[in-house]
Amino acid sequence: MRFSLKWKIAAWCAALLLVTQIGGLLLFGEIGRGSAMADAQADLKTGDRVFARLLDERASQLTQAARVLAADYGFREALLSQDRETIESALANHGGRIRADVMLLLALDESIVASSSFNPGRTPERLRQLIEGARSGAHSGGFAVVSGMLYQLVVVPVMAPVPVGWVVMGFSVDKSLANDLKGVTGLEVSFVRRSGDKGWMLASSTLNEPLQSALLGELSANGALQDEALTLGDRDYVSLMHAIDAGPQQQVGAVLQLSLERALAPWNRLYRDWTGLTLIGTLLALAVSAFMGRSIASPVVRLAEFARRVESGEYGAPPAVARGDEIGQLANAFVHMTDAISLRETRISELAYYDVLTGLPNRAYFTERLEESLRTAAADGSDLAVVCLDVDRFKMVNDTLGHELGDLLLREVARRLRETLRDVRDQVARLGGDEFAVMLPGADASKALSVAHRIAEAMNRPMNLDGQMVDVSASMGVSACPAHGNDAQSLLRHADVAMYLAKRHNTMAEIYDPRHHDQNVERLSLLSELRLAVERDELVLYYQPKVSTAPDAVHHVEALVRWIHPTRGFVPPFEFIPFAEQTGYIKAITLWVMNAAIRQCGQWLRQGLEVNVSLNISARDLLNPELPALFAGMLECHGCPARLITLEITESAVLDDPLRALANLQVLRETGCALSIDDYGTGYSSLSYLRQMPVSEMKIDRSFVMHLLDNPNDEIIVRSTIELAHNMGLKVTAEGVESEGVLERLRLLGCDLAQGYLISKPIPAEALEKWFRESHWAQGAVGSSAAAVMLDEPVGRAATRTVAV
Amino acid sequence: MPCAVIVFHHFRRVLLVAVVLVGAGLPAQAATVTIKAGDGSGNALDSVVVSLVPVSRGGMPAARPAQIEQRNKTFLPAISVVQTGTAIEFPNNDTVRHHVYSFSAAKVFELKLYAGKPEKPVVFDKPGVVVLGCNIHDKMAAYVVVVDTPWSAISQSDGVARIADVPAGDYQLQLWHPRRLGMPDVPPRPLRVAGDQTEVVKLELRP
Repeated sequence: MRFSLKWKIAAWCAALLLVTQIGGLLLFGEIGRGSAMADAQADLKTGDRVFARLLDERASQLTQAARVLAADYGFREALLSQDRETIESALANHGGRIRADVMLLLALDESIVASSSFNPGRTPERLRQLIEGARSGAHSGGFAVVSGMLYQLVVVPVMAPVPVGWVVMGFSVDKSLANDLKGVTGLEVSFVRRSGDKGWMLASSTLNEPLQSALLGELSANGALQDEALTLGDRDYVSLMHAIDAGPQQQVGAVLQLSLERALAPWNRLYRDWTGLTLIGTLLALAVSAFMGRSIASPVVRLAEFARRVESGEYGAPPAVARGDEIGQLANAFVHMTDAISLRETRISELAYYDVLTGLPNRAYFTERLEESLRTAAADGSDLAVVCLDVDRFKMVNDTLGHELGDLLLREVARRLRETLRDVRDQVARLGGDEFAVMLPGADASKALSVAHRIAEAMNRPMNLDGQMVDVSASMGVSACPAHGNDAQSLLRHADVAMYLAKRHNTMAEIYDPRHHDQNVERLSLLSELRLAVERDELVLYYQPKVSTAPDAVHHVEALVRWIHPTRGFVPPFEFIPFAEQTGYIKAITLWVMNAAIRQCGQWLRQGLEVNVSLNISARDLLNPELPALFAGMLECHGCPARLITLEITESAVLDDPLRALANLQVLRETGCALSIDDYGTGYSSLSYLRQMPVSEMKIDRSFVMHLLDNPNDEIIVRSTIELAHNMGLKVTAEGVESEGVLERLRLLGCDLAQGYLISKPIPAEALEKWFRESHWAQGAVGSSAAAVMLDEPVGRAATRTVAV
Repeated sequence: MPCAVIVFHHFRRVLLVAVVLVGAGLPAQAATVTIKAGDGSGNALDSVVVSLVPVSRGGMPAARPAQIEQRNKTFLPAISVVQTGTAIEFPNNDTVRHHVYSFSAAKVFELKLYAGKPEKPVVFDKPGVVVLGCNIHDKMAAYVVVVDTPWSAISQSDGVARIADVPAGDYQLQLWHPRRLGMPDVPPRPLRVAGDQTEVVKLELRP
């Protein structure tokens, strides 16, 4: 169970008070009872003295009366006359004066001579004892049980003038006596007696019936009264036993009791008042502490509610807590905290949703908005289109003109995009790098394409970037909902695919064609599986032979990696190599290829087949400082001489970090292998770098070779390249040889090696061995086979993207 | 009690004279009987009234008058032994009045408040013990032992009582003492008197 702070405080306060009060009550109870007991016992002692005095007084009253009688001359005369009737009437007369219950006249021999109202017949033994006592002067009376009744008696001699008889007078110890005694002493008086071993009997008592029985029970149980505290029924008493001498045969006592009730009365009133006070105090404490608790807890509760609202993102007005104490300080701190949080949140969402450079929304924001709009579109069945835009050759601008200008360019692009899109519903965003996206609600694909053309026009206008005039073009892809997808991710991806298509076809803008879709999706999913491909040994090497235009003893082949996916089957290199390059996983693939090629090369050598194998090294590989050592290790491991290996690199591979790349190349060269420049002519050819690169071969890109016969410019390029290469002491290999005519022309131009589908497409190692044995190319006019190293498509494509301005 | 002793001596002298007179007429020779009285533990006992009652009653002298005066609210003598028929005077020598009475069976009488000498003496005509009291003064008490013989005496502080001029013959020895009041009479004891003789008696008394 959970209680609020308010009630916890209240409960603790009340409990504390309650404990104190109860402690007080117990203490007072203890003191009170003790004090009441002491008071009652003092009263009882006093009562006891009064009681004793009363008995004495009654005895002397009896004695006086008896003496008066005994000394009465007339009585003595009557005594002398032996007139019994007269004597008895005299006895009755005197006894009546003091309401005595026993009047006896005894002769000197202690025989009863006369009696009034009561004659026990024989003289009881106890009476003899009393007479003896009187005779000796010890006392004049005492108590006696006569005929089962208890009496207080006095014995007085009749003197004439020497004793001639005894007058006995007595009171019955009955209820009226007890009541009289009670009236004076204020005590409950009970006369009890027992003879011999018999039980206690009650002679008389002021107690009521049930209490009398209880008292007798108490006496019988204990034999006597031990404890001064006595409880009879439900009443508490202090008591004492006033022993009364009634002869040796009888044990007589007066039990004097004082009810504690009266002594306890003031204390009981104290308890009652105290309990009332405690109750009132506890209620007050509850109320006051609840009020105080509320004054603490209520602002806290309001602050907590406010904090929950803040948690849900609602920055309303904070609760007003106008107080100077700690709670007020807490509230103040709260207000400041939420202000600060709100500011920071605004700033964070700006950073999260906006591109700082261009002030455009970023990818996250764009994606969210796109999803929203898609839901709206789906709801009302309207169209929606997305345009992806990529600035052409932005990397070149960045690299050549500097990042500052690159940033200016991006801003300008953003500005023009915004300018072009007038519809308020249209949304522009910078997705990252030089990629932008536009969302066009209500537009279908064709309308979006017209917008894209408008954008293209805007982009094509020369840009004045900080005084420099720059020509910019952009490639755009269009995808539309619902034709090309229903969710933001697929729309963006499809627009992207279309954009790349446009870029490749140099068409400025393309609408997404679902035919590209599958490849695209597969490419992405394959990428995740590529990591496993190496481990699963799903990669294989294909070899494409090269033929020499002049007789040569050595076979030349280019090792090309292929991926035989267990479910998808053959995966073409352009599907995964570019992504492997982007993710850096190309390093692992390169090492695998290198190891496999060297192993195969060594194997062939041992079979007596000397084959020069060339393989591709990417730009990232060139920056790997461990590569040379690994390469050397593999050569040694597989028993393959370095001269049989040629490493192919593209010109642009050196560009990222020329110093490290060139140094690494030098180390590789020193292992004894050959280095070759791949795809020459397509890249950012720099003769300055070419000069520094320790290469021994140059490969002319297929794009120049394929149309060699049809395009005079291509022939010029090929010829001059061959001349340049030869002049620099390099061999030349032509790629993409697909006809006899081309091969013939290349031979005329002095090209050293030729490679292409005319000779052979890339084939597995076993097929190659068979090709070596059977193909006329292997034994024919060229005289020997050659190999070219190449990753056909992807490298070509990458080259396309990096054509110089 | 010097006064009582004087009275007693006087009384004895009177008695002696009587005895001598009686003895002269008797054939038998007269003797003196000495009684030594003691209590149970052998201590000498005073105030023991001793009387010799002759077995044969004839020839006893007549009783002589006696006197018990009241002085200082006291009866004097406190104990008297008289022959039956003795008339006793009760002269009041105090300035206050007395009311002399007796409830004793042997002689019931009262002399109502009086001063000086009452008109008539009181005659004690029956043998027995008469206890005298004063109704005004409870403490006043006197004993008169009335016996049928003139031969009697009261023991002194040495426990000795002497009866002189007792004619020889057979007697009953009777004993009384104030502290035997309320007790049964001591049984009389036969005693033959032939000459001077001494008898020892013991008396049981109330404690």
